Amino acid sequence: MPEPLVALDVPPLAPRPRLRFGFLLNLTLLGLLGLMWLGLSLGTDSFATLGNFANLLRQGSIWAIMAVGQTFVIITAGIDLSAGAVVGVAGTVVALLMKSGVPVPLAILATLGFGVAVGWVHAFGIVRLGLPPFIMTLASLTALRGIGLLMTNGQTIAGLPAAFSALARDSTLGIPNLFLAVIAVAVPCHLLLHHSRWGRHLYAVGSNREAARLSGIRVNRVLYLAYILSATLSALAGILTTARIGIGVATTGDGWELQAIASSVIGGASLFGAVGSVPGPLLGAMLLTTINNGANLLNINPFWQRIVTGGLIVAIVYLDQLRRPKR
Amino acid sequence: MADGGPLFELVGIEKRFTGTYALKGIDLAFAPGEVHAIAGENGAGKSTLIKLLTGAHQPSAGGLRWEGRPVAFRGPGDALALGINAVHQEVVACPHLSVAANLYLGDERVRHGFLRKRAMLRAGQHLLDGLGFAIRAEATLGDLTIGQQQLVATARAAHRGVRFLIFDEPTGYLTRQETEQLFRLIRALNADGVTIVYISHRLEEIFELADRVTVLRDGRLVSTRRTAETSERDLIRDMVARPIEELHYKRVVPRGETLLETRSLSGPGFADVSLTVRRGEIVGLYGLIGAGRSEFVTTLFGRHRSTGGEIRWQGAPVAIRREVDAMALGMALVPESRRDQGLCLNLGVGFNLALPSYARLSRFGWVDRGAERALARRQMDRLTIVAAGPGVHAETLSGGNQQKIVVGKWLARGARLFIFDEPTVGVDVGTKSEIYRVFADLLDAGAGIILISSYLPEVYDLSDRLIVFRGGRAVAEHGWKTAEVETILTEAIGA
Repeated sequence: MPEPLVALDVPPLAPRPRLRFGFLLNLTLLGLLGLMWLGLSLGTDSFATLGNFANLLRQGSIWAIMAVGQTFVIITAGIDLSAGAVVGVAGTVVALLMKSGVPVPLAILATLGFGVAVGWVHAFGIVRLGLPPFIMTLASLTALRGIGLLMTNGQTIAGLPAAFSALARDSTLGIPNLFLAVIAVAVPCHLLLHHSRWGRHLYAVGSNREAARLSGIRVNRVLYLAYILSATLSALAGILTTARIGIGVATTGDGWELQAIASSVIGGASLFGAVGSVPGPLLGAMLLTTINNGANLLNINPFWQRIVTGGLIVAIVYLDQLRRPKR
Repeated sequence: MADGGPLFELVGIEKRFTGTYALKGIDLAFAPGEVHAIAGENGAGKSTLIKLLTGAHQPSAGGLRWEGRPVAFRGPGDALALGINAVHQEVVACPHLSVAANLYLGDERVRHGFLRKRAMLRAGQHLLDGLGFAIRAEATLGDLTIGQQQLVATARAAHRGVRFLIFDEPTGYLTRQETEQLFRLIRALNADGVTIVYISHRLEEIFELADRVTVLRDGRLVSTRRTAETSERDLIRDMVARPIEELHYKRVVPRGETLLETRSLSGPGFADVSLTVRRGEIVGLYGLIGAGRSEFVTTLFGRHRSTGGEIRWQGAPVAIRREVDAMALGMALVPESRRDQGLCLNLGVGFNLALPSYARLSRFGWVDRGAERALARRQMDRLTIVAAGPGVHAETLSGGNQQKIVVGKWLARGARLFIFDEPTVGVDVGTKSEIYRVFADLLDAGAGIILISSYLPEVYDLSDRLIVFRGGRAVAEHGWKTAEVETILTEAIGA
């Protein structure tokens, strides 16, 4: 028996968009950062000095660059555990190239190219071989560490060109070059994420891969780009770290992938995909660096920093859960 | 356009998945400008057919012709380029993105590499308004109801210069009003010359919309007829190839003692509801979406706290504070979306059947594997669950068989009152009748049933007593077929 159709006059109302959680989170992080800075300025003599502040920015910049790359991968509901290992190997590669007489700009370009290749391999394993991102990049972490140690035979590469070290140590117009590097990375990344077609597709793949595919989006291409971007930014972080410490050490960046992931998650990215921004990981990285720096200045055992980071991740992800509608 | 010829044609199409045929020997031509319905049971090959038409799958043999010329799709992009689009059964869209972003997904407006967000938002809102949908383009898609999301998916397909549009069970989650909006949109698109393929289990929708209807069964094409020259009975016969005496199969059994009684029960979303359920009867709850039926049963089941009134179980007042309290009494809730809430799809049938009973199946924490197997076997026989064995993953089973697993696991735990929330949404005719037989078997076994359904013919035909909800209250109660359908509808709407 066909159900008679009856017209209803009340139209279904779609809910108004809410104030973005991401924006509020960033505001909160900024407030937290301000509070910590204020507290440290009042509590210690050495925090609010130009030297320390420049140091803080330099330290935070490297993690920030890695965290931005990590965020791209996290938005696709993936993860890049190899980020720290890429830092180490890239630092080794750039140092070895310069030692063998390659001009500085060329050595940097070649190392960035190496980062592209690593990211390509990650995406190949994930897209073509169908490996879970966690496994693919975990395997890569181990292998890359091995490659770095093999290349240097476990030894430190010293005696790098002064022009190279100056890249990380100098300032331009009073702003540390490393911080300028963050801006040079963050601004294009932000535009890419929120104002380009590819950015849309990145979120779409993280939100519902099938929907993206059925919309004619080339999902594989999006994934390749995300992993290449992450590895390349990690390679950049490796180059900058090597410039900063002035030597190439294969074990540099041990555990930094976790710092990068933590910065991204503290900055509001969701490991389930489709949520994340560029300012978030920047703030997250600065927050973690400040905790680290502050702990040093206050003469607190630096190991506390790891515990605080863990607590912060739990608190922020818990807040993230709260905003999700319960079923 | 080839003069007078078909717009889109399947010639000798075959599709195999690891040796088994999903489709075999399909010859089907879609005439330009027609509304062509496709009917068939679950597993008849409808989904595979859609995937071939939209380029998501490639045929194993045979070919496609577009305007008389052979075409081969490497992926969905190729089909989209020809103007072939689909609105899928499960909303296939990105819940995290805005409505506007979804409307333009894969087809974004860009200037100098920059997204033209504001232009897309404006155009998207214009599109939605033009279609008469009360949806804001800047809203996040995931915040909308499933029905509204479905309308967005339709709008999205409509704006893409579409020439051939496939609807796969679009009305499963829609309210009556949303269904009407959708039908209006389909007719408008068709009037603009868009060829429509419409897939639905609801035969009355097919007769309302379609010019022709094709029936698939077991991967083969059974018949293509003009809807004007056929009847529901013919279609059902073609679909199931076995007689269905009655669409809504009902067995009347003697009623027993009272299982559940609520006295003026109130809670979040409903107030002052009094009803009784006895062994051997189906109590139907009918009402529009948001009338408070689901809120009532979830409170009954301990998911929310009641704010007033009393619940009695077999004559004695009981306090149900948590879901386990309800389960311990012998209540079972079969939720609306089986896939999400009722089953562990990537685990075995046997595991699913035993899941609520492991306390009984284990000693000192160790599972008695023999008893576990026996339980699975018993329920599979009792409910005739069609699966190769208890180890088969639940996701590989048909919708009807999945429903039986949900019922079976609660039966095994000794449940006596079953609450079904929209049990037949998105389920085909054959599976529906299987589900109704499960109802009958449950009643025979001395259980009572609360049936929530938004599909009036179903609750009307099945309920021994029918309670109409409106605005959170039970506004009327009727015996089996003692009231006119129109009366019930009027009570539900409050007109």
